[in-house]
Amino acid sequence: MSKLFRPWRDHSFQLLALALTIAAFALSAVIFLRAELEQRFSISTAEALGGDLVLASSRTPEPEQLAKIGGFNISQIIDFSTVLVHKDELLLVSARAVDSAYPLYGQIQLAKNRFANEYSQRHGPAPGHVWVADQVIDRLNINVGATLTVGNKPLKISAIIRQLPDQNAGFYSMNPRIVLNSSDLEATGVMGPGTRIRQQSMVAGNSEPIKNLGLELNKKLRPDQSLETVDDAALRSMGPLRQLSLWANLAVLLISLLCGAAIYLATSQRVRRRAKLAGLLRSFGASRYQVITRLLGWEFLAVLPAVIIGSTLGAAIIMTTMDSDSANIGTGYLSAASPLEWLTALLAPLLLWLAFALPRLSTLVRVPAIEVLRQRQQSSLLSTNIELLAALSAPVLLAGLLTDSLGELGKVLGLIAALGVLLPALLWPLIKGLDLLSTRLPLAARLAIRRLSRRPALTLPLLVSLTLAMTVLTLAGQTGSQLLNDWRTRLPSKAPNHFVLNLFERDMPAFEQWLEQHDAIAQPLYPVVRGRLSRINGVPVKEAITKEKKSGHRHLNRDLILTEASVLPASNIINSGQWHGENTLNLKQKSAAHSASHSVSVEQEIADNLGLKLGDKLEFVTSRGMLHATISSLREVDWNSFEPNFYFIFASGEFAAQDITWITSFWLPEGDGARLAELLHELPHITLLDVKTLLDKAQEIIAQASRASALLGALLMFSALLVLAAGLLGGQQQRGRDNALLRALGGKQQLIKGILWIEFLCLSGSAALGATAISLLALYPLNERLFQQGMSISVWQALPLALALFVTLCGLLASRRALQQPALSLLRSQGE
Amino acid sequence: MPQQVAPLLEVGNIAKRVQGPEGELTLLEDIDFTLSAGESLAITGPSGSGKTTLLGLLAGLDTPSQGEIRLNGSAFSSLSEDQRASHRGATCAFVFQEFHLVADMNVLENVMLPLELAGRAKPAAIAKDWLERVGLGHRIRHFPATLSGGEQQRVALARAFAVQPRLLFADEPTGSLDYANGKRVIDLLFELNQHSGAALVLVTHDPQLASRCQHHLELHEGKIMNIAFAEEKPIEESVIEKFIHQTHPS
Repeated sequence: MSKLFRPWRDHSFQLLALALTIAAFALSAVIFLRAELEQRFSISTAEALGGDLVLASSRTPEPEQLAKIGGFNISQIIDFSTVLVHKDELLLVSARAVDSAYPLYGQIQLAKNRFANEYSQRHGPAPGHVWVADQVIDRLNINVGATLTVGNKPLKISAIIRQLPDQNAGFYSMNPRIVLNSSDLEATGVMGPGTRIRQQSMVAGNSEPIKNLGLELNKKLRPDQSLETVDDAALRSMGPLRQLSLWANLAVLLISLLCGAAIYLATSQRVRRRAKLAGLLRSFGASRYQVITRLLGWEFLAVLPAVIIGSTLGAAIIMTTMDSDSANIGTGYLSAASPLEWLTALLAPLLLWLAFALPRLSTLVRVPAIEVLRQRQQSSLLSTNIELLAALSAPVLLAGLLTDSLGELGKVLGLIAALGVLLPALLWPLIKGLDLLSTRLPLAARLAIRRLSRRPALTLPLLVSLTLAMTVLTLAGQTGSQLLNDWRTRLPSKAPNHFVLNLFERDMPAFEQWLEQHDAIAQPLYPVVRGRLSRINGVPVKEAITKEKKSGHRHLNRDLILTEASVLPASNIINSGQWHGENTLNLKQKSAAHSASHSVSVEQEIADNLGLKLGDKLEFVTSRGMLHATISSLREVDWNSFEPNFYFIFASGEFAAQDITWITSFWLPEGDGARLAELLHELPHITLLDVKTLLDKAQEIIAQASRASALLGALLMFSALLVLAAGLLGGQQQRGRDNALLRALGGKQQLIKGILWIEFLCLSGSAALGATAISLLALYPLNERLFQQGMSISVWQALPLALALFVTLCGLLASRRALQQPALSLLRSQGE
Repeated sequence: MPQQVAPLLEVGNIAKRVQGPEGELTLLEDIDFTLSAGESLAITGPSGSGKTTLLGLLAGLDTPSQGEIRLNGSAFSSLSEDQRASHRGATCAFVFQEFHLVADMNVLENVMLPLELAGRAKPAAIAKDWLERVGLGHRIRHFPATLSGGEQQRVALARAFAVQPRLLFADEPTGSLDYANGKRVIDLLFELNQHSGAALVLVTHDPQLASRCQHHLELHEGKIMNIAFAEEKPIEESVIEKFIHQTHPS
């Protein structure tokens, strides 16, 4: 038992154990955080989709398809349109018939009456009941508790729907929604031959079986069927969760790298102190294997407690930092991490330690014993570099195992790691050159430069580590702050919480007055025309689109919401082509030439789905005839922004001859719901969508993402500081001996301090230069992966220079003991 | 008539006490002697007798708990750390048992180091000269790791004598060497010392080596057990003149 504690008496082992504890803490925190995010991601996506897999069709699935999905947790729903009649009022609604399993994920937000507070429900309406949207109450002048006839079936209105979990904020159907029990469907009599329905079989299950099910079903889909899984869902493609997921993966890569560097430095120190023992063992006849196991064996057991403590702390910090939403997560945080991830969290720091310990330890068995005993082993520059490269490959491989983003983020990591090693190697000849020229410099500078240039085994790893640490701190600061800024911009405190559709020109004065009266803040108004895509390049759509694309796309057989605009909406980015409004200097001067260009900008995903490209000529059928336009640009749209977004945006003036309504979104302060009723009373034909629940959810996601991002940033900084500490503490013994000798030979304290200042300034200054170069170069790949708006050069690029000063001061602080080492120690016993 | 030379080193009733785990520990007590320029003193005694402690005090690497040490007329032991370092650099030199060469400086740079610290002019030329004298002129660009123990100690001797010290401290200079190399080094030490006219304080456990010194101070448990100072011999004027010329060239 005492053998387990023996290594702890040594300072270098304590430093190594600290490095491993922090490595375990940081890696496990990131692993658990990622698992947590992945689960929330998947659950959010599954909620939005309605299941882990959704098979949608215009009629009942085939028996064999039903058999395949029968082994899973399923819910069957049918969406259809119907007209409600109540007294003298008619209203077209989107109806949904749900079974008892609905919803598979999430909860339905309901209210007892028009202006009551919301409550959650985990199942659909009972037979004989119907839930309706607010607009149904307003339009039909009906209340909760009243009877509403759907088709032939009278149903009791028992609640008002505020939000369905799988109801996204798109505008597929702007009709008010009702939900009834599927057992009442037949009695309604609305299902008949030719009735247009959308049947969805929603499936819930674990990822691997779902994936296999998807592959099976995909082989034999009917033309009217489509299959969507959480991996396909649009929610993944953009938004804070995607950015955070990538950032978390990058953090894993960088933390692996930094912790590896810290372990390398601490292990080097330890190896130096064990060199004599290694030489002695070999002089006694021990084999290389025996030397390694004797040196490594007990230490491996001795560091285990440090790793376990670190991993446990990492898991604990995630539990206390991330909020729990038991309705979504289920049994709590730890269930988010799989047993494999637990094991990975425990093994990852040990793997890092082995990766960095073994190359260093191998020097003790590679170098002849006599050289070790005579302390003559001197690493060549080449062998030091090879060792470093071999050691640095370990975190890259480890990160590849821990994340699935090595392909996506590998460029960034590769750049940082490669430059982190290459730049110091490039700086090395400069340092050597400075040594050659140093004869003209003052004594303190000469001695400082000699210390750096004559000890590659000490200087190079420290230079690499400092460069990497400074780079990571700079990138963490800049990326983290830009992410937070991005998210704050995406969802400002007064993000629109309502959408209004079907406004007419004549409604504007009343609408604007209402907005002003209630301190509401509105987004730009967009003119809207409903149209159906009929031809592409003169060819009818049914012929122009391939069978595979046609079957997967629901936009071909329905009216699309078209708009025109001269200013590119803020939530859109042009991917290719040119925005038709860019060259319009004066919005009021719509030249005939410009209108005649008949340009349209198309959303990228729909363009990809339909095989559309720049220059294609499109024809739309509207209530007033045809609309023709040529695709002038393709756009990426942030569908999660709370602004009106469109697949097709025409150039201004295209709708001159069309029937236009207007759409916009606005922010309404908290208050009485009667204000909305007032607006509806004033403008009864408008459609009003309350997206407050969605907004609250998005804000909650962003709040959690911000917390997680801050935590990641803190972990990165912690790891970087660990590297700094390991680097600065290592080499202190050598400095102490050097300083003692200088004092014995007559050197004054001032000279010794001067040497230390210059030594650390040169080291940290070189690292700062390298870090600035690397962080500038890394901007491009980071920008490409994480940000849409771009990340530009900022004040963060000056951080390495500030860090250089900080490192110098820390170095001097760490060297206090070395500074005060008495010259008398030279007369005492050597070494330890 | 031979001139009487004032003592270079005056040790006045010094003691050294430290706090140990079981209370105060007396390392040295009642140490009292003087040493003049050109004289040699061997300090002997068993392990733990306080030899190294005494050497440290004499060299100003440590301060006594009691008493005073005067070096070249100045109250050495009461100076500050920096003042002692400065004084030490100007007056003293060391030869250590473990050589203590700087591993990442070549032989020439090692010998130049104390000269640079003292701000001497043309340190490289002086260093080269001394390396020639110790027979290592052909290895000035070599690093200590490539030298044998004897060669390293010769470099240490060159480093010590290059600054023309008035007082040379040698702490078991042959302790890390074999007999043949040790004899060679010690012969060189005494030869160079005789030519330089510096006083020599030699810590050794070797009675034969001790017998080569003029004076002998034997310690036991921190106290002087035996002290044998040879009669004061007049120093030849030529030696004095040579010494003065070397230390104060004008």
